[in-house]
Amino acid sequence: MPRRSSLKVGISGVRGIVGELLTPQLVTTFAEAFGTFVGPGPVVVGRDTRLSGEMMKNAVFAGLLAVGCRPIDVGISPVPSILIKTNRTDAIGAIAITASHNPVQWNALKFVGRNGLFLNRYEAQELLDIYHQSEFSLVETDAYKWVDRDDDPTREHFSALLEYLDVDAIRERNFKVVYDSCNGAGSLFTSGFLEMLGCQTEGVNNVPDGLFPRNPEPKAENISELCEAVKAEKADVGFAQDADADRLAIVDEKGRPIGEELSIALAVKHVLSRNRGPVAVNLSTTAIVDHIAAEFDCPVIRTRIGEVNVAEAMITNCAVIGGEGNGGVMVPAVHPCRDSFIGMGIVLQCLAEQGKTVSELVAELPRYVMVKKTVECSTEIAHSIMTVLRKRHTDAGQVDTTDGLKITYPDRSWVHIRPSNTEAVMRLTVESPSPEKARELADQFAQEISSLC
Amino acid sequence: MGEMQMNDRDLRLLRFGASGVRGIVGQTLTPELITDFACAFGTYVQSGPVVVGRDTRKSGEMVKSSVFAGLLSTGCQVVELGVCPTPIIQFMVRELCVSGGIAISAGHNDARWNALGFINSQGTHLDRYQGEEVLDIYHSGEFVKKPWNSLGKIERRDDYLPTYLDRLCGFLDVGAIRGAAFKVIMDPCNGAAAGIVDLFCERLGCQLIPINNEPTGRFPHDPEPRPGNAGQIASIIKPVRANVGFLLSSGAARVSLVTDTGEAVSEEYTFPLVLQHFLGRKKGPVVTNLSTTKMVDDIAQRHNCPLIKSEVGQSHTLHTMLTEDAVIAGEGCGTVAVPEFHPGFDAFLSMGLILEMMALRQKRISELLDELPRYNIVKEKVYCPPDKVHNVMHEVRQEYRLKKPELSDGVRADWDDGWLHVRASTTEPLVRVIAESNNEETARERADRAISIISRLI
Repeated sequence: MPRRSSLKVGISGVRGIVGELLTPQLVTTFAEAFGTFVGPGPVVVGRDTRLSGEMMKNAVFAGLLAVGCRPIDVGISPVPSILIKTNRTDAIGAIAITASHNPVQWNALKFVGRNGLFLNRYEAQELLDIYHQSEFSLVETDAYKWVDRDDDPTREHFSALLEYLDVDAIRERNFKVVYDSCNGAGSLFTSGFLEMLGCQTEGVNNVPDGLFPRNPEPKAENISELCEAVKAEKADVGFAQDADADRLAIVDEKGRPIGEELSIALAVKHVLSRNRGPVAVNLSTTAIVDHIAAEFDCPVIRTRIGEVNVAEAMITNCAVIGGEGNGGVMVPAVHPCRDSFIGMGIVLQCLAEQGKTVSELVAELPRYVMVKKTVECSTEIAHSIMTVLRKRHTDAGQVDTTDGLKITYPDRSWVHIRPSNTEAVMRLTVESPSPEKARELADQFAQEISSLC
Repeated sequence: MGEMQMNDRDLRLLRFGASGVRGIVGQTLTPELITDFACAFGTYVQSGPVVVGRDTRKSGEMVKSSVFAGLLSTGCQVVELGVCPTPIIQFMVRELCVSGGIAISAGHNDARWNALGFINSQGTHLDRYQGEEVLDIYHSGEFVKKPWNSLGKIERRDDYLPTYLDRLCGFLDVGAIRGAAFKVIMDPCNGAAAGIVDLFCERLGCQLIPINNEPTGRFPHDPEPRPGNAGQIASIIKPVRANVGFLLSSGAARVSLVTDTGEAVSEEYTFPLVLQHFLGRKKGPVVTNLSTTKMVDDIAQRHNCPLIKSEVGQSHTLHTMLTEDAVIAGEGCGTVAVPEFHPGFDAFLSMGLILEMMALRQKRISELLDELPRYNIVKEKVYCPPDKVHNVMHEVRQEYRLKKPELSDGVRADWDDGWLHVRASTTEPLVRVIAESNNEETARERADRAISIISRLI
């Protein structure tokens, strides 16, 4: 079994297992590096509900204070709320303490710039250079600031959402909604948000105790409890979040998970029907998005994997909607970040405006089948395997090598292969309108990769 | 004459001692270093509960966050007292029966400094063996690392002041003090006692005139209780007709006095004054350090109580007090501890006992001070690089060998009229020379002679 490192330092931040390599000293040093990178000023600090959050938070405060920053402690907060607060206040950056969908023993720091976006790879590279060179701007006592508390982490976020959504139309319907926050940051805010939209709410896994009752990834196989509750409560819809409330999966009124890939599909359809414009999604996101965009005659921009890559593509191309197939819905009119709350709002507004059920909305979408596989592959040969694969498949169809290798066939089937940056595996994603074709392609490529390893 | 040629580079800006670590924030005292020490302490107390409080210094919040991160990672439950005087932190360690405490206060050091003071489960400074153990763990870097579900939690306590003040008042003759209705000036130097002095005075029925009583951490003068910093009190005490003035250190362990006549009295007088009163209440062994005024010898003798002298250093004095079963201990820097109350240096206790003395004796503070034997003390320091210290001390021992000197901490020689103490500083490249005599010139001559011996060798 290939060893999985318990510490990952990279452009997406620093992530590790608490009690192993993710020590308070390391966290403090990173916070000093970040404070040095953004300069002295207010820095928003929020966390998810993980039990290690308090230790991490204090280590972050120590590092920020030491370089003259003023931490704004927002406590437990959804990640999109942290990003939006950073963007809409005088904060010069933020640190989100969350390992999002990683298991409960993990935690992480994610670094956010003044614009409320995660650092892009050039900025992150600069931060890493500061970290590695230990060139921190430690200040002396006179220049010290203090920790400020902000007890309303979702203020800016929710007011932007209420402005964006047709609240009256949604309120009128008095929807019954069951949500599952995985005992994460959503536990404290989701019912309040849904009640503002006039919903009756019922929560499962809505105790912010940091003990995750299920795998935090909002995938179909992890949310059976929610599905049962939707049935039992005869609810209109079920919503599942991950631990930091940026990703959303939807359960229809019959208690069936519609698949997290469809969150973005429903959102794209809703937004384009009101406001045509470019769509930005990552390379692994469902082709249903292309299908819908084509209906509205709108271009689709495909980006490298990573939320910040999608966000920057949205800004550069003036996209009106975007996201990721993992349940990440991003609406730039609110903020170009993955946001489970905007996803929920859009679904409820669709239901209200169209007078249909969730299953009816889903039935209107084109059908695709997605298969995801991982193939063990040591990091050492991952690069050369990618080179071999690229050479072999140049003529297979439309080839995109922005991030790994993506081949799109004339029948709209596609294959995306890329080395994981967290585990010693190759990730293989296949999608096709035909279930047989999807399985066939997946098996074929999995075998091919294995034979090269 | 005391020759001073210290270079900045010779000053150790980070100091490790038996009972803690202190340094200049932004230079040597970094958050990583503090976290390492907190991890070492958490490992030392075997992940048991730890009380944490701090004084008002602007760097306090950074130091606190680092301490919390370190303690939580080693699995310690943290009891947070917020801004709190050091003696009350020590008191609460024992009160709450926890494994230890960390007091974040650089006491008398200027505002650039901060420090961690480690407190053992008895509520007093770590002794030298305990301190060495923490240092060994720190240097080994082998800290306990608890997994995500065994990390500590923080519990905030805001209810401790009444408990402490009840206990303090139970120890004093509150009726007598209240009856005297004193008017008191206090200068907590915007430190940890700011605001708390109000409650203290209210309990004791004193009218308080506060100076620098905002917990902002902006020190209007160095937070060291000594006459040079007591100017504000001294200038107003006569016009406002106050009975006594008290000047506190930032952590409220030390105190010095200003009399009703406007005299800012040396911090050397705090302990003798308290001692004179306290031995009248309770007799028993007394502990002080080797560098404290002979007044203490005379007063102990006057009360027929044995006096034991410890090495210089708060931890040494307190642990000698505990092992010798002393009833009281104190030092020349303005500290007093009474183990029957709690075994830490406590300015509130010192002030309470002085007010009790004034009330019971019905005398003014200036009169009470006049009753003390008067000595003249000369304190000098001579620059001495560490590689010369051994030779210097050898030569000094030779010089005074006929006086059969006390050698447990440097060289201390005694005469009928006074004494001389020569010791190497543990924190700076200095040799300290302290001479005291009832005759000022004799003290001066003895100090000068020691200095010339030292200077010859450098």
